[in-house]
Amino acid sequence: MGYYAPFPHPAVALEDVSVRLGGLQILDSVSIAAPRGAVTGLIGPNGAGKTTVFNVMSGFVPADSGSVVLNGQHVHHVRPQQLTRRGVARTLQGVGLFPSLTVLDNVMMGAPTRFGVIADALAMPWVDRERRQMEERAREALVSLGIEGESSRLPSELPYPVQKRVALARALVSDPSVLLLDEPAGGIGEADMQDLERLIRSSVPDRTVVLVEHHMELVMAVCDFIWVLDAGQVIASGTPDQIRSDPAVLAAYLGEEGAA
Amino acid sequence: MTSFIDYVLGGFGSGMIIALMALALVLTWRATRVVNFAQVGQAMFTTFIALSLQTLTGSWVIALVGAMVAGALLGVIVQYLVLRPVKRADTSGAIIATFGVLIALQAAAGMIWGGDSRAYPQPFGNTAITLFGREWPVSAYDLVVVGFAVILVVGLTLLFTRTNLGLAMRATAFNPEVARLSGIRVGRTLTIGWALAGIVGAVAGVLVAPTSAISPNSFDILLVFAFTAAVIGGLDSLIGAVALGIGTGLILSVVSGYSDSSNAPVVALVLLAVNLVLKPEGVFGHHKARSV
Repeated sequence: MGYYAPFPHPAVALEDVSVRLGGLQILDSVSIAAPRGAVTGLIGPNGAGKTTVFNVMSGFVPADSGSVVLNGQHVHHVRPQQLTRRGVARTLQGVGLFPSLTVLDNVMMGAPTRFGVIADALAMPWVDRERRQMEERAREALVSLGIEGESSRLPSELPYPVQKRVALARALVSDPSVLLLDEPAGGIGEADMQDLERLIRSSVPDRTVVLVEHHMELVMAVCDFIWVLDAGQVIASGTPDQIRSDPAVLAAYLGEEGAA
Repeated sequence: MTSFIDYVLGGFGSGMIIALMALALVLTWRATRVVNFAQVGQAMFTTFIALSLQTLTGSWVIALVGAMVAGALLGVIVQYLVLRPVKRADTSGAIIATFGVLIALQAAAGMIWGGDSRAYPQPFGNTAITLFGREWPVSAYDLVVVGFAVILVVGLTLLFTRTNLGLAMRATAFNPEVARLSGIRVGRTLTIGWALAGIVGAVAGVLVAPTSAISPNSFDILLVFAFTAAVIGGLDSLIGAVALGIGTGLILSVVSGYSDSSNAPVVALVLLAVNLVLKPEGVFGHHKARSV
């Protein structure tokens, strides 16, 4: 619980969360917190439990014990379909795009809808209006990521880094106050990396960003605060400078890079 | 002498029925990745309900609407009570479970309405249309069937392409996890898919009943034809199901015309086998088939 102390009113947090899956202890009394309006990194070697932290935050994996804070509120039972309405958006490892939907439709999927099935099926005028607004917002998101020219293409026709941008646009289209990014730098080149760095830094302080990432240069460059997981436990937390020089982190995770 | 063109035209009405039933199979497949072999059983059951309503009210329209409502409800019930719990454990188990539902529905229908074939009243003229001085193998009723099929296909296409619900259904079919993250209530969307399939199947049942008869097993052969059309069409494609459904109807009509109608199921299975060897992903399928 000591690691949780720095942020008394976090935007996102796990409080003493444990998860057991298939006989393995994936998370063991994990308490982490992300302050509002900052970029918080979550790092650790493969299998440390980083994605499970995101899965608990987004309701894909239920916590055996402990509680979750989302957008400043304690949530007892997190449901993935309620995330966007709570102002939380998440990207997935890889891209997670819908292969048969165009780029524009994929991005529109990220915008929450207000109206029910029946109004929708009957194509009521207000549903139409909302749909047009969704489309406009989706186009704006595409413009902000520099891929507006790809709106009618299918994901499979695009290079991987562009697909990653589409996934980001889908997360941003709901204008979330909390953005959970799961390995956004995976498989992209240097130029895209710089754009990503700018995008993340320009998101704060309007948004709260939580970043799971292996790319240490990016993590150290963009994060205000970092939590380090190893084997399902928090082993360190602090600013990038503190993490760089933390002996436990160097031993568990940054050992080789730290020595280099 | 009946010409080739007459045989082809004669297959159009039955082709539309096959297309509708194939459409129902594709809808459940798209929603839950399960081929619902109980679809014809549900259609049979709702057609018996329609027959009871028709007998009671004398109205073909009330009977049809009743069957559609019952079809939606039955789709929801089967998906909710059988598919959800079984599929959580295993997809192939879910497919077997649909066979179980088919047998249960046939047994239930036998207990309620009896095992004998019953005639379903013909709502519109069933005599051949005369045009340009000759008689064509198409009746006014065939045109009604075609009209209904066109309305359903256009309606479903608009639903899938122009509405948020359609977008949600397409998204859920491909990636339920991401769909959930996008705020979609996946469970409800799947249920709506089954309800829609139930409605389409119910319409197919009521439309086909006057041209054959209705008994607990009378739609079994329709399953063979519709399954053939849906699989060759690519199983994922609404257009594929309709195109191949009509195509299957036409081919079977020609086969029945030149040989014997009992050869039709054999030809359907041969078509299916040839398709699975040459183009297993289907004519309109997007995905590469899994080879073993």
